[in-house]
Amino acid sequence: MEEELKQIVASAEQSLAGVSSMPQFEAVKASIVGPNGSFTGVRKNLGKLPKEERPAAGKLINEAKDKIDALLLSTMEAIRRAELAARVGPAVDVTLPAPAAATGSRHLIMQIREELCAIMHRAGFAVAEGPEVETEFYCFDALNTPPEHPARAEQDTYYLPESAVFGNVSRKGAERYLLRTHTSTVQIREMLKTKEPPVRIVSPGRCYRRDTTDATHSASFHQIECLAVDEGVSVKDLKAILDYVFKSLLGKESKVRFRPHFFPYTEPSFEVDFYSGHLPKVGKEWVEIGGCGMVDPNVFTSVGYDPEKWSGYAFGFGLERIAMILSGVDDIRYFYQNDVRFLSQFA
Amino acid sequence: MKLSLSWLNKYVDLSSKSVDEIAKALVQIGFEVEGVETHGLAKFEHVVVGEVLQRDQHPNADRLGVCRVDVGDGTIRQIVCGASNYVVGDRVPVALVGAVLPGGFEIKKSALRGVDSEGMMCSARELGMGEDHSGLLILTERPELGTPINDVFPGADTVYDIEVTPNRPDCLSYVGMARELAAYFDLSMNYPDIVTEMELEKAPSLVGELRVDVPDTCPHYRGYSIRGVKIAPSPDWLASALKSVGLRPINNVVDVTNYVLMELGQPLHAFDAAKIRGGKIVVRNAEAGEKITTLDGKERALDASMMVIADAERPLVVAGVMGSVDAEVDDSTVDIFLESAYFVPVSVRFTARKLGLSTDSSYRFERGVDPQGQEFAAMRAIDLILEVAGGELAGTPQIAGEPVCLNRQIEFTGDYMRKMLGFDVSDESIEAVLSRLELEVGHFALDEMRSAFRVDVPSFRVDLERPIDLVEEFLRIYGTDKIPSAPVLSNALVGGDDPMAVFSRGAANSLSARGFAECVNYPLRAANDAGLWSATDAEKFALHNPLSAEQSHLRPSVLPGLLDNLLLNQSRGNDFAGLYELGRVFRADKGKLWEFFSVGLLIPAERAHAWRKAEAPDFYTASAIALDLLRIGGVKAEAANLRPLKAPGLWQDGHCAEFANPAFSMRCGLLDLAMTRDLGIKGDVYAVEISFLPATLEKNLSGGVNFKYKALSQQPAATRDIALLVPSAESAAKVGSSLTKAAREATKGAEFELESLRVFDLYEGKGLPEGMKSLAYTLTFRSPLRTLTDAEVNAAFEKTQELVAKAGYSVRA
Repeated sequence: MEEELKQIVASAEQSLAGVSSMPQFEAVKASIVGPNGSFTGVRKNLGKLPKEERPAAGKLINEAKDKIDALLLSTMEAIRRAELAARVGPAVDVTLPAPAAATGSRHLIMQIREELCAIMHRAGFAVAEGPEVETEFYCFDALNTPPEHPARAEQDTYYLPESAVFGNVSRKGAERYLLRTHTSTVQIREMLKTKEPPVRIVSPGRCYRRDTTDATHSASFHQIECLAVDEGVSVKDLKAILDYVFKSLLGKESKVRFRPHFFPYTEPSFEVDFYSGHLPKVGKEWVEIGGCGMVDPNVFTSVGYDPEKWSGYAFGFGLERIAMILSGVDDIRYFYQNDVRFLSQFA
Repeated sequence: MKLSLSWLNKYVDLSSKSVDEIAKALVQIGFEVEGVETHGLAKFEHVVVGEVLQRDQHPNADRLGVCRVDVGDGTIRQIVCGASNYVVGDRVPVALVGAVLPGGFEIKKSALRGVDSEGMMCSARELGMGEDHSGLLILTERPELGTPINDVFPGADTVYDIEVTPNRPDCLSYVGMARELAAYFDLSMNYPDIVTEMELEKAPSLVGELRVDVPDTCPHYRGYSIRGVKIAPSPDWLASALKSVGLRPINNVVDVTNYVLMELGQPLHAFDAAKIRGGKIVVRNAEAGEKITTLDGKERALDASMMVIADAERPLVVAGVMGSVDAEVDDSTVDIFLESAYFVPVSVRFTARKLGLSTDSSYRFERGVDPQGQEFAAMRAIDLILEVAGGELAGTPQIAGEPVCLNRQIEFTGDYMRKMLGFDVSDESIEAVLSRLELEVGHFALDEMRSAFRVDVPSFRVDLERPIDLVEEFLRIYGTDKIPSAPVLSNALVGGDDPMAVFSRGAANSLSARGFAECVNYPLRAANDAGLWSATDAEKFALHNPLSAEQSHLRPSVLPGLLDNLLLNQSRGNDFAGLYELGRVFRADKGKLWEFFSVGLLIPAERAHAWRKAEAPDFYTASAIALDLLRIGGVKAEAANLRPLKAPGLWQDGHCAEFANPAFSMRCGLLDLAMTRDLGIKGDVYAVEISFLPATLEKNLSGGVNFKYKALSQQPAATRDIALLVPSAESAAKVGSSLTKAAREATKGAEFELESLRVFDLYEGKGLPEGMKSLAYTLTFRSPLRTLTDAEVNAAFEKTQELVAKAGYSVRA
């Protein structure tokens, strides 16, 4: 019998190896373990053996059964897998592009905006927004800009008609509406809203100047501005935050320098240059990037903060300029053409 | 402003500083250097006259010569040279070892292709004298061997083009800039000496009467009479000084007034005394309609707001701006009336702007000249006029008003300075730095222990009023590079990001993740374009002073800009899934104008041919995105019920939807086919446009995490399908709500309820009556407590069918 079982297992192995569908499998299975199957026949014969031989024979039969069951199971599993694979067809060409593929992208200026907001966020500054239509008070008066300052001239700043009245741009009095020339307006609105320092905001956004558009000028552009007001804020803190911003943005090798300058809303005022020798596009020169300074006491007075108690700093940059320096884009107008060959380069 | 170094050297000796050091100093103290031009020869060390004694061919290079050169110091040097325009015996400039040529090029002892060379023979360009680089600069005058090259080419000068910020009118002059540099380098100032003495008994003045009618705008006016000048071209020193700063020499007297303007910053005016009619000088406002022909040859109409200097009959000068041809000093002039006055800045600025005329004089008056500087400037000019044009002072000056006295004292403590700076500096160093700027630093006792500074501000520093102004003065001269580096002192966030920023971040991330490209467009649009998108309101958003017709109106929508982008990209053959923009748009409502925050998206139906066709976008592509954007904007899904957009204008009728309330609006669907065709766009365009009032976003997004959890039933659901025959025009939302109502009614009082309702089929056409459609729904019932029996679900379903039939919808078998 031992020989016979060996034979049956060997034959099962052989016939199952040739099976490739469930009907075939069922037929082969029946021929082995079905009512008339070869293995079933051997099992039936067990009872005919002398009693003393039965335990040994039973053991042999059980061993053969385990082998056959395992064979049947693995064959069935293989067939099922093959059937599933057949449903999805032959291997796909993974190198073909997806039919309607498109690379989504954020605009480079917006990416720089987000990056700077994230850098400032780590230093404890929250994003503040303000209206783009502003008034003379928020854009100039509150920022210590005298009535006769040239920036206020109709030659340089867009105004709305006298008759315009905005439902959601608050005015101080009956001053004229204009398109904001800088994001510093948000400083004023935030300080008035906050009533009492500390204030730490970063305000990115669009600004407008009555400029003819050329490779480096645009009538509408983006700025980002930061303001910190607290007790004991000093020039050293201003330098520290700008060092931090440029090291975060451009790498640890970057340096920042201050050149004394004049802005009506800060005193002292500086222009900010950065140096980043490792950036190929920037080279070995100091590059002018923005303005900064300590908030002028008159600005505090105009928002009702006590300039004896509070001090603060503010700084701002043009986002287009940063984008151009970092990416090598050499004409500001490309930012507004929105050619997807341009846009997708920054995806 | 142009600043000639040789002129500057008259007031502060900068000979120990290099051109570059001075440029760096200017930048450091707040004067941006926009250009540095060296005319003639810069100052060189170790560049001398030499003679070529011998020239041999270089053994290893055809184009090089090996010369023996004598520079008169007893040593004959071997110099390798690449030029070919010289012969043995020529004298040329020789840069010896140690010389530094323009561009920082240092001459060292070196070997050129294996042959030693001890210096360099120079071309004109190598010495920075123009562009000639065709060969060595041959010194045909044969100057003495060893003569420093600067002695051969004297008159070298460097001119800096600097930017003077509007708060520093005192620096619109040589003396002012010299004072700044003297402070920075800690050098002493040389002010010009006055030599002419005022002799009181001299003959009376040339002008009988000086009268100022407008003392508010002209608080101080001085007139000096000079008799017997000889008008002639200016001497070389004067003419070339003016030329170096870009002024054209006219004649000796006019040139002196310009020279003093540049030197001291005080504009002066010289009248030909013979042309003053009626023996009178009157400072008054112009009469309306009065005309004057200014020195630039233009006739200008004046009005009553403009100040003039007139004689008995007519205006002769627009005060502080420009003189007229009527009293011009010319070749026939013999007697001069010289004006030195202080005009109030606002008055001059106003007049200059109104006339569209900016002059060296108005530029300085507008910003504020030294209110105490009129007498000194006049005396300085008289010195120079007498020197270059002869004549004599005729009588005492005529004076109206008196110098304006600003008299400012600023008090502060060293602790204040240190607190604002954030780092330690000694009281001594504060005092020393401020004193170098000619501020008079005194002290007073604050209390028994502490003393404070009291600074007297000189009259020319019109910008200094407050302690904080002195912090800047200190830092400028002390050096901003000495601000120590420090860690950022960062506290917890004071508040959250503005909801507009939160929304834009979420919306942009969602749209970019769908493969769309973010665009940024100019928010200013042309009138017709704005009108197209907002016919009734466009004019309300016309700018008062547009620069061009293409950018004359605030945009009512981001879509027109995106359509421009779509067209441009199609015309360039670019393939893209969609374009979007986030930004402000402007709308009118309830008689007021409103600034909205908007997001707009365009999806072109046609894409470039691909190896396999992708599913084309349709209305539901747009509406799904629209609802997603509303969710990001904090609008709850159940509140966002789309409805057909009636009278859609720029949208295709029947293929667009809207959702609006006063705080925001949403439109989505297909753009009007005729419009997109007329724009030249290929294929259909689906679009989404959502605009929020910023306050709405604030309300929607500032609540933090605010959701209510409803417990999940662990029991199995029972579903039933139902198909309803409804009129074709009936909306799915309406049918769905009837069905929901019916199912709720049917399960009233039961231990289970309708959990959800889902449309799974829409059919119209064959087999259905005309004008009808079939909508099929799956109803899901579930109990929180137990498994439902077929019987109870069937009962509820039957009841639902009855109720919905009663509501007017027949149930299909």
